[in-house]
Amino acid sequence: MPETVNGVVFGILALASIGGAVAMLTTRNVIHAAFWLLEVMLAVAGLFLLLSAEFLALVQVLVYAGAVSVLMLFVIMLTLRRREDAIRPLDASWGAAALALLFGAIIYVGVAASSFTLGAMPDEVPDVEALGTLLFSLDGGWVFPFEIASLVLLVALVGAVWWSKEEDR
Amino acid sequence: MGYVAVIPLLPALAFAILAPLSGELRNRLRGVAVAGMAGSLVLSVIAFFQTWPGGHAEHPVWHVTFPLAEISGKPLEMGLMLDPISAAMLLVITIVGMCVQIYSLGYMHRDGRVGWYYAALSLFTAAMLLLVLADNFLLLYMAWEVMGLCSYLLIGFWHEQEAPRKASQKAFLTTRVGDVGFAIGLFAMYNAAGTFSFEGVLGSAASWAPGAATLVALMLLFGAMGKSAQVPLHVWLPDAMAGPTPASALIHAATMVAAGVYLVARALPIFEVSGVALTVTLWVGAITAMVGGLLAAVQHDIKKVLAYSTISQLGYMFIALGAGSVVAAMFHLVTHAFFKSLLFLGAGVIIHASHTQDMREMGGLAKHLKITTITFTAGSLALAGVFPFSGFWSKDEILAVLLHEQQYGVFVIALIAAFITAFYVARLWFRVFMGPEQSDELHEAHTSMLAPMVLLASITTVIGIGGYWFAEFLGHHGAWPEPKIYLPSLVAAGAGLALGWWAYGRMNVVLNTRPLKHRAGYAYDMLSMKLYFDLTYDTFVIKPYMRLALAFAIFDFKRIDGVVNGVARSWRTLSDRGWKFDRTVIDGAVNASASGARALGSRLRRIQVGRVQAYQRYVVGAVVLLMLWTVVKGA
Amino acid sequence: MQVGLEVFLGLAAVLFALGLYGAISKKSAVMVLMSLELMAVAVNINLVAFSRFLTPEAMTGQFFTIFTMVVSAAEIGLGLALVLAIYRQSRSIELAGMNRLKG
Repeated sequence: MPETVNGVVFGILALASIGGAVAMLTTRNVIHAAFWLLEVMLAVAGLFLLLSAEFLALVQVLVYAGAVSVLMLFVIMLTLRRREDAIRPLDASWGAAALALLFGAIIYVGVAASSFTLGAMPDEVPDVEALGTLLFSLDGGWVFPFEIASLVLLVALVGAVWWSKEEDR
Repeated sequence: MGYVAVIPLLPALAFAILAPLSGELRNRLRGVAVAGMAGSLVLSVIAFFQTWPGGHAEHPVWHVTFPLAEISGKPLEMGLMLDPISAAMLLVITIVGMCVQIYSLGYMHRDGRVGWYYAALSLFTAAMLLLVLADNFLLLYMAWEVMGLCSYLLIGFWHEQEAPRKASQKAFLTTRVGDVGFAIGLFAMYNAAGTFSFEGVLGSAASWAPGAATLVALMLLFGAMGKSAQVPLHVWLPDAMAGPTPASALIHAATMVAAGVYLVARALPIFEVSGVALTVTLWVGAITAMVGGLLAAVQHDIKKVLAYSTISQLGYMFIALGAGSVVAAMFHLVTHAFFKSLLFLGAGVIIHASHTQDMREMGGLAKHLKITTITFTAGSLALAGVFPFSGFWSKDEILAVLLHEQQYGVFVIALIAAFITAFYVARLWFRVFMGPEQSDELHEAHTSMLAPMVLLASITTVIGIGGYWFAEFLGHHGAWPEPKIYLPSLVAAGAGLALGWWAYGRMNVVLNTRPLKHRAGYAYDMLSMKLYFDLTYDTFVIKPYMRLALAFAIFDFKRIDGVVNGVARSWRTLSDRGWKFDRTVIDGAVNASASGARALGSRLRRIQVGRVQAYQRYVVGAVVLLMLWTVVKGA
Repeated sequence: MQVGLEVFLGLAAVLFALGLYGAISKKSAVMVLMSLELMAVAVNINLVAFSRFLTPEAMTGQFFTIFTMVVSAAEIGLGLALVLAIYRQSRSIELAGMNRLKG
């Protein structure tokens, strides 16, 4: 992929994600905010594609854009008694903004001071097949962490069901 | 031959398994004790045959020692050894122990604490086996004490009732009197020889100071008299019959009471050096044999008859020891262990059948309890010394020794004792098995109780002939009975049996012995009061002791308590001062720190606003500060 | 236009800072959870970018991303279940109202 196209695509995606995030935080409607989050997730999936992480891009779409956003919308709608409740105050906070800005500034200083800028994107990278092989190989692979992660998910699932079931305990 | 060490270990293991369990589980797992016993029995048989044909008594077949400590330069070693005497004792203990344990399965099966009974029995067996395997007097003494504890536990097994409780205390304290003597003997022994091991002590006994050997021997004898219920320390054994009958068979007939004989037999070289001690032993035995026999003849409780009979027979063994014959004593110990435990087991069946221990309320059991009658008769004849049962042979050997040592006085006493023995045996037998039936629901015991009795009866019948080889096994010259000894012995036994028959078996009615007793007058009273031993102890030892204790208690109350109270009063005054100091200074400091903490807390609680996002801000703020520090430092 | 590692890091930092702002300023529990997702995504961008630029063969960052996704999925599931439970109790998802643990 030519450098220019790369740069242009990155610019669009970065704009989309940052813009989406800003819109999410500034909209007064919670449902709109959820949709803006969905937009950010899709943009980030595009960024993953740009970084040759095709598998992660797919997972990003499936998990975040699909499952998590839908879950958000469900909960929002379950906890809304009237349509008008979706409209909320902006909750602007100068202190929080200052803290976040300070945080970003420090990161900027940290990155600028480090030597990461030297790295140019390597041309050749392994594809999804290599990722899968590495993920599921016993020898030097990631199969044990992967299985433990599945256990974590299972426990979270049980916990979520336990917490959200009707009040009869 | 290291497996010999496992012999006492198996019952000990059974105890260790059973003891910590709950009562319920213990009751169900009583088989563990039986299994441990069976293992010991098998190993003992193997050990016996590996020791066969024996011979050299002074060289153990197997010997192992472990250095335990060093006392002022002298090593203190403990170990186990197996020699012919040990091997014979092992066999006796394990056979009788096995029989008793199997018998108890039937006898005790309705008892709620049968598991504990088996645990105590296992511990006892372990201690007794350790005692006969010990290669030194100290280890022997330890096992001896453990046995004393088990005896206490088993006599007082039914501690809900008054009699067993008192009997167990009496047994414990009386034997303890003897054990103090034993302990003094041990100290004197160590002082003289500088070691406890059989080898070292017995080897050097000849070179001790003249008085030392006598002191050690007499003190050891005193300990043995306590354990083996010799006059005057015999009073505990008849009372010990309050325990379960099978336990009496094992502990108070076959094994533990024989430990005293075993001890004296082991230490006999010291006695021989002393000479005086030997004579004392002889006469203690003679008096005990007479007293035990006489008292057995007037008892009505079947178990007490057997208990006094045991005392008398143990006296016989002491006579043999006093005459210097280990072989005769040990042989009588072995035969007596078998026939007396048989008699006790039989007595258990009889008591179960007729629901009483009083012989006056028994009778006519022969028709209903066939197997018990046959086995009990075998035991009775052995006790009376009738050919060919085992008691005849061993008693004969003792009499032969007496004649050989020219102890004619004791020889006559022994003959009279044999006559009395035969008399009370006949009295017991005719009272229980003949005569009118006094109960209509007599029933034979369960097979698990009869089988051990049959085994013991057959051993009792045939073992006597082995006397010759037993002597050879212990390293002495065996001898067959001579007419000049067995004829008087048989005449005495026959006369006793005949008198017993004349008095109790002649008429098929309950004999009214009151006129007889009246004619005997004072003599009978004396006997029925147990020759005033208990009364004497009660009057001259226990009552004064109690009075002394009371006096001490009063002294305690008046003087010591006065002192204590005085101390308490001054202490209280001091405390009052301390209290005031406490209130002002210490409490002040504590309160000050408390109010300081409270003030600090009320400031700090403002941070705890309870809103999630406030906490979030603290966290993020802290993270930002940390990052700031990292970046600034890195840059 | 050269797209280097620092550009991705900068983008991730901006997204993270935005998420942070939302997480500490929003008073609705759902909005806070969304902001947390934004932060998690920013972290993922960082991880993938590091993986792409520094360890393209081992793909360590990508595996880490998989696990952070797992954890954040679990977190969002549990978080939303909690929100529902709280809503059932107090008929509100306002974080300002959740101060019963105040000391």
